[in-house]
Amino acid sequence: MICGIVYDNAYLMHEQSHTHPERRERLSYTLDQLEEEGIFDLPEIKLISPVPAKRDDVLLVHSAEYLRFLEETSVHGGIIDADTIIPKDLIHDALLAAGGAIQAADAVLNQEVKNAFVLARPPGHHAGKASGAGFCYLNNVAIMVRHLQRRGMRRIMILDWDAHHGNGTEEIFYDDPTVLFCSVHQYPFYPGSGRIDDIGVGDGKGYNINLPIPAGSSDKVYRYLLEEIIIPLAEEYMPDVIAVSAGQDNHFSDPLTGLALTAQGYARLMQEMCIVADSICYGRLIAVLEGGYSVEGGLPYTNLGLIAAMAGLDISGIREPAIYQELLQKSVSEEAFPKVLKMVSNLKKKLSNHWYFIHRSY
Amino acid sequence: MFTGIDIGGTNTDIAIIDSLIQTYKVPNSKGVSAALKNISSNGRLAVSSSQPLNEILTGPPAMIKSITIPGPGLVYPGAIQGAVSHRGDVVEPVNPEEIKTLMKSSHAQAVAISGKFSVRNDSLEQQVFSIVSDYISPDKIAVSAPIGALNFPARIKTTILNARIKNKVAGLIKEIKQTRKDFFFVTSTGGLTSPERAIQNPSLLYHSSPATVANGAYYLTRNKNCLVIDIGGTTTELVPLVNGKPLFNTVIVENSKTLINAVEARSIPYGGDSCIRENLCSFRVGNSRSFGGGEPTLTDALNVCGARIGDESRSHVIDPDLAHEIVQYYLEMVSSAVREYRPSAIIGTGYLAHYLLSDISERAQVLGIVPEHAGSANAVGAAVSRLCLEVHIHVDTEKKRMTVNGKESPYVHIMDNEDLLAYAKELVQNLAISEGAPEEDVKDVTVFHFSSYDVIRGWKVTAKITDIILGITPGITVEAL
Repeated sequence: MICGIVYDNAYLMHEQSHTHPERRERLSYTLDQLEEEGIFDLPEIKLISPVPAKRDDVLLVHSAEYLRFLEETSVHGGIIDADTIIPKDLIHDALLAAGGAIQAADAVLNQEVKNAFVLARPPGHHAGKASGAGFCYLNNVAIMVRHLQRRGMRRIMILDWDAHHGNGTEEIFYDDPTVLFCSVHQYPFYPGSGRIDDIGVGDGKGYNINLPIPAGSSDKVYRYLLEEIIIPLAEEYMPDVIAVSAGQDNHFSDPLTGLALTAQGYARLMQEMCIVADSICYGRLIAVLEGGYSVEGGLPYTNLGLIAAMAGLDISGIREPAIYQELLQKSVSEEAFPKVLKMVSNLKKKLSNHWYFIHRSY
Repeated sequence: MFTGIDIGGTNTDIAIIDSLIQTYKVPNSKGVSAALKNISSNGRLAVSSSQPLNEILTGPPAMIKSITIPGPGLVYPGAIQGAVSHRGDVVEPVNPEEIKTLMKSSHAQAVAISGKFSVRNDSLEQQVFSIVSDYISPDKIAVSAPIGALNFPARIKTTILNARIKNKVAGLIKEIKQTRKDFFFVTSTGGLTSPERAIQNPSLLYHSSPATVANGAYYLTRNKNCLVIDIGGTTTELVPLVNGKPLFNTVIVENSKTLINAVEARSIPYGGDSCIRENLCSFRVGNSRSFGGGEPTLTDALNVCGARIGDESRSHVIDPDLAHEIVQYYLEMVSSAVREYRPSAIIGTGYLAHYLLSDISERAQVLGIVPEHAGSANAVGAAVSRLCLEVHIHVDTEKKRMTVNGKESPYVHIMDNEDLLAYAKELVQNLAISEGAPEEDVKDVTVFHFSSYDVIRGWKVTAKITDIILGITPGITVEAL
C-alpha cells in the first residue's frame, strides 16, 4: 500500500500575518516528526511535489470574478474578512495548495499511489463559489473533486471532519447529487452553519449531511458516527473516490476549538475510512489538510497518525505524550455522547426518505 | 610532513609526504604497531582503517542488543519507556528497573541505545547508557545522539553498526596512541576526524578506502574529471571524480538506510587475490601464490601471461589457456563497467594498476594514467586529506537550548538569522581548529541547510527555532597543495 504525500517547502511560505494562527509554525513540528520517523524513506510512502492549479481547474468551482479579485488583490494585498487577510502574492500559494490536491488526485487515478495526503496550506473548505472566509481562499477539495469528475469519476464522497463546518464545500455542492458531502463539526461554532436540517436542494437533496456535535465530543463520539452514519452512507452511495477534508482541529489540545479527539482516535478514524475505501472504491482516498492549530501537542501526532493509517503501518504507538493526559481528561465531556445520540436520531428522521440504510430501520 | 596509513586487507600502505613522496607497504600480519614504528614522530598522521571495520560489518552476525526509546509515534523493536518531544523536552521518563531487567537476561556482545529526538536532548540516552554500563564495557555501548541528524530508523541502524565496531575502534585508538599521541582517522567522505569524534560515531570510519583513493588519485595527477580504478587485493573499485572531488551517497547496509555518507564507488568483487578454482572466484582465500599463498589467483594468472609480480615461479600452476581466459574475463568486466561512466580519462591505482590499466584503457578506448606511487595512492590520499566536519545545530530560544551534533552546548541568545549563522560558522571553525585543522583549511564553511521559524503564542513571537547543518567539506589540505 503506497501513500502519496503531497508536500513542498513552499507550503510553509503562506502567512496572513506573522502571528496568525494559520501560520508556518503549524506544519513545522509535523515535518520534524515525519523527518525523525524516517517517513520519506519508507517504501510505503511516495513524496509528490505539487504544481500550481491552472485557472481552468479553479474556474470549475469558483466564479471568474472571485478568481480575478484574488489575483488582483494579491498584487498589493487586501482583506476578505477579519480572519482572512490577503497577503501579497497569495494567489501563488493558493494555486499551489489547490494544485497539490489535483496532483494527489492524478497520482491516485494513475495508480502511482493507492491513496494520498495533501499537506497543503492555505486550507480551503470555508471558501465558497465566490467568497473566501475562515483562513480559506480557494476550495482545494472542491477543485480536486471537479478534477476527479473531469477524469471520469462519477460519484465522490467528501468527509469533512474539520472542527468547523465546511460551509464553502457545502455551498458548492449543495444541489449536486454526484457529490455526497458529509461534515462532522462542533456546533454551535464558527461559521454558524451546519445544521442537520440542511440536507441539500433540488437533485442534491439528501446528499448534504451535517453531523453537528457538541464541545467535549471524544473518540467514542466519532467512532459512533462512523459506524452509525458515515460508513453506511459510503456503502450505500458507493463513491468512486473518497475525499477527506482533514482538519486536525478536533484534537483535544487545539486552542481554537472544544472537541476532544485523540491522535489514536484520528488514526483509527482514517484506518476505518481506508478499509471502507478498499471495500468500495479500490482504496481510492485522498485527504487534504484543512485546519488544526495545536501546533505542538496535536498536529505532529495526528498528521503522523493519518499518514501511518493510510500507508498501512502499525498505528498502535500513535498517541500524545503522557503529559497531555490531564488536558484530555478535562476536555472530554460525558454529556456529549447522549446529545449526539439524539442528534443522530433526529437526522435519521430527516434522511429516511433518501437513504435505504436509514429507511429500513424504521 | 604528512603521513598517511591505509590498513588494507593484506598490507598496510604507508605514504610519507614532505618535499618528496615516499610510499611503502608493511604486511598486516605484523600489526599496526609495526607499521607505526617505521614512521617519524614528526608531522601529521592520518589513518584509514576501513578494511578491518568492513570485515567486522560484513562478517558473521554479532549479537547486538538494540534498545530504543521511541515514545509516541511509529513502533520500533527494542522499545523501552521514555520519550523526548520534537522540542527536545523529556515528556516521559525512562524506567531504570525495566532496563536492568533487560540487561540481566541479555547475552549481547554490544548494546546500541537510540532515542527518538535524542539529537535534541540526549539525557534519556545518557541515563540508559549509565545503567547499561553496569553490565557491559562502555567501549561496547553506542548511543545515537552524536550522529546528529534527524531520522530515527536510520539512526537506530547506524547506532547498531557503531555498537558493532566501537570496541575495535577503541582498541585501534589505544594501539596507535601508544606510538603517536596525536593522529587523525580518515572518514568515509575522505575528510579527517579526531579519534575523540570517531569514538562517538565510529561509523564515520566505515568504507573510507574509496575516499582515500579518490583524494590520492587527484593529488598525484591533479586530474579533476576522471574515473579512478583502484585494483586492490579483494575488489576493484571505480570512483568517479567531478571537479576534483568524489561524489557522495548515503550508505545502505542490509537494505536499511544509515546516516553514513560515503564516497560513491562501484565495487567489482574481483581483485589481485581473487582465487581461481576453474573460474575466477569473487572471494579471497589468502595471498597470491607469488606472495606465498596456497591457491592461484588473478595475480598468478597475470604472471602466467608474462607479468613479473612477486615470486612468479610459484604462479605456474595454472594452465596458460585458463590464465589467459581469466585475465581477459577480468579485463572485459572492468572495461564494460568503465564504458558506462563515459570518462574522459581513467586513473589506475592499487598494486596491479601498472599491469592492467593499459589493457583496460585500450578496451574502454579512453586515456589511461598510472601515476607514480599508484600502488599506495590510498595512503597518499589519507596523508593529504583535510579535517572535515558536518555539524547539526538546533537552537530553541524559548528553551534556551542549543544542541550541536546531539550534545547540549552553552546557549547564546541570538535572534537574528544572519548573526546566528555567523555564530554557527565560527563555532564550526573553532571546533575544527581545536581538533587540529590549520586555519587555512577552515576558511570555507559550507551551509548545507538553514531553516528558521518563529514560535507564536498568544499572537506574539515568543521564541525562534532554527536548524542549521553546516560544515567543512572533505578535500586536500591547503598545506599539502
